[in-house]
Amino acid sequence: MSNIVEARSLRKNYGNFTALDGVDLTIPSGAISGLIGPNGAGKTTTLKALIGLCDVDGELIVAGRDPRRARHKLMEDVCFIADVGILPKWLKVSQLIDYVEAVHPRFDRKKAEKFLSTTDIPANKRIKELSKGMVTQLHLALVMSIEVQLLVLDEPTLGLDIIYRKEFYDRLLNDYYDGNRTIIISTHQVEEIETLLSHLLFINKGKIVLDTLMSELCEVYTEVLVDADKMAEADACGPIHVRELLGKKSYTFESVPKERLEVLGELQTPSVADLFVAKLKEDRHG
Amino acid sequence: MDRFTIVQFYALLRREVLEHRNLFIGAPAVVALLILVATSWVAMQIDETQLAEGLSYISVLFDGLSPFDMAPFFMLLAIPFMLTLYICSAIYLINTLFQDRKEMSILFWQSMPVSNLQTVLSKVFTVVIVAPIFYVLIIFAMYLIGMILLTILVVSNEVDLVGIGWMFLAAIASLVLIYCSALVTSLWLLPTIGWLLLFSAFAKKTPLLWAGGVFILVGFFEDFIFGTQYLANWVQSRAANPNQYLIFEFQSLLERIFNYETLFGIVVGSVLITGAVCMRRFTD
Repeated sequence: MSNIVEARSLRKNYGNFTALDGVDLTIPSGAISGLIGPNGAGKTTTLKALIGLCDVDGELIVAGRDPRRARHKLMEDVCFIADVGILPKWLKVSQLIDYVEAVHPRFDRKKAEKFLSTTDIPANKRIKELSKGMVTQLHLALVMSIEVQLLVLDEPTLGLDIIYRKEFYDRLLNDYYDGNRTIIISTHQVEEIETLLSHLLFINKGKIVLDTLMSELCEVYTEVLVDADKMAEADACGPIHVRELLGKKSYTFESVPKERLEVLGELQTPSVADLFVAKLKEDRHG
Repeated sequence: MDRFTIVQFYALLRREVLEHRNLFIGAPAVVALLILVATSWVAMQIDETQLAEGLSYISVLFDGLSPFDMAPFFMLLAIPFMLTLYICSAIYLINTLFQDRKEMSILFWQSMPVSNLQTVLSKVFTVVIVAPIFYVLIIFAMYLIGMILLTILVVSNEVDLVGIGWMFLAAIASLVLIYCSALVTSLWLLPTIGWLLLFSAFAKKTPLLWAGGVFILVGFFEDFIFGTQYLANWVQSRAANPNQYLIFEFQSLLERIFNYETLFGIVVGSVLITGAVCMRRFTD
């Protein structure tokens, strides 16, 4: 499988603040990749760098191009939805569709109108008159109507209620994703996208702290609910994270053979949220 | 240039007009309305004898002249529009690359396959080519309404105004002169256009303050360090003479464009516009 994104040693400073501190990442073509990190970790800067909206140092190739040199050419193959309502508020919905149709060679107007016909968005309304959920629906309808290799979503459902959030991801998966396109999603709501992901990236303090395929996650990471009498034994196995759970302790291990852990208790694969907490705490404690 | 590039550029121009319709359509429409109301009010204030005398005088004044001879007279009516155009263009230029960064819609515009060069050029074209077209169309509408009112006035006062049709043709000819004037002025003021765009693309806050402040500072340091005032004199020489902004005859059009001063200004303006394109590259 080839990689649609290859980045080496990406660095970016805003004054004294280091937003990216040598980010290395590869994203395989066709993956649904989750970029997870706390606030200020460098998620938005990374995504903006991928589409040429942010100047970074280091090596960066996206869909075969350097985004810093040929953003406008790259955007024929990449679509982007940001975490804020970025659609121009003064435009009418129909004018927005006219604009995208005129400037994007791979936009399918009929598809967009078909998507919009299943929503309550009126074509003659200005974007400022739409709710945040409708604006996100509209933006999704636009990008879903463009034939691209890569879709970059930066906290796309931030501020939306549960119904819009669920609908957003349902549409993305059922109507858009075809196994060939790549989707990169950055979000705080890890639980909502966990089942969608095929590739996982954790970022903290401008560094990638985890880069793995979801299929490999269960082979590398193991969570064990350990009884009180076996805690000393579990501690000896070198857990990366320990948390209290209903009077027992849940241990998370990385690259420890399962045969060694089976004797401690019931084995399971940690959830992305639990793994995220584990990796961040591990990173914080060095 | 292929067809798609032209369609793209047309969409960019359309976007500018839609976004700034108040500056390019609303403002001149208000000026036209004010002029029509004011002239109608004046016409209603004077008595029938004075009105008849005035209309007869105009008739005599224009008798024997061709529409092109009469056109400069109508240029005077265009002066409020020209002033409005320049003020609105300055407001547009200083905000156009700043506003979308401020409201974050730049992330949408930049997510489309449109280069920064295309974007900035569309803004220059809007000011130089497109905005004057809307102004001229609105002046034309004003002339048309004015002529209809004048005709009603003439008929109701039973004055034989010879050549009212010629007057209308003269008004049309003046529209071409007005458009040429706006075009030549835009080229003449290209350094100003470039300067405003540069700071519109650069400033994180108050772009007008940046554009004015840096200009004053550069002039001050030139005076302070070198004891010269080349910058101030150069700007003054380009801004001071109102004749530079109007063309009264077509013969002078090429002469006004192809002269050292204008061409030098075009070069300076192009450098500053290139700077605005570079500034536009990154949103952070």
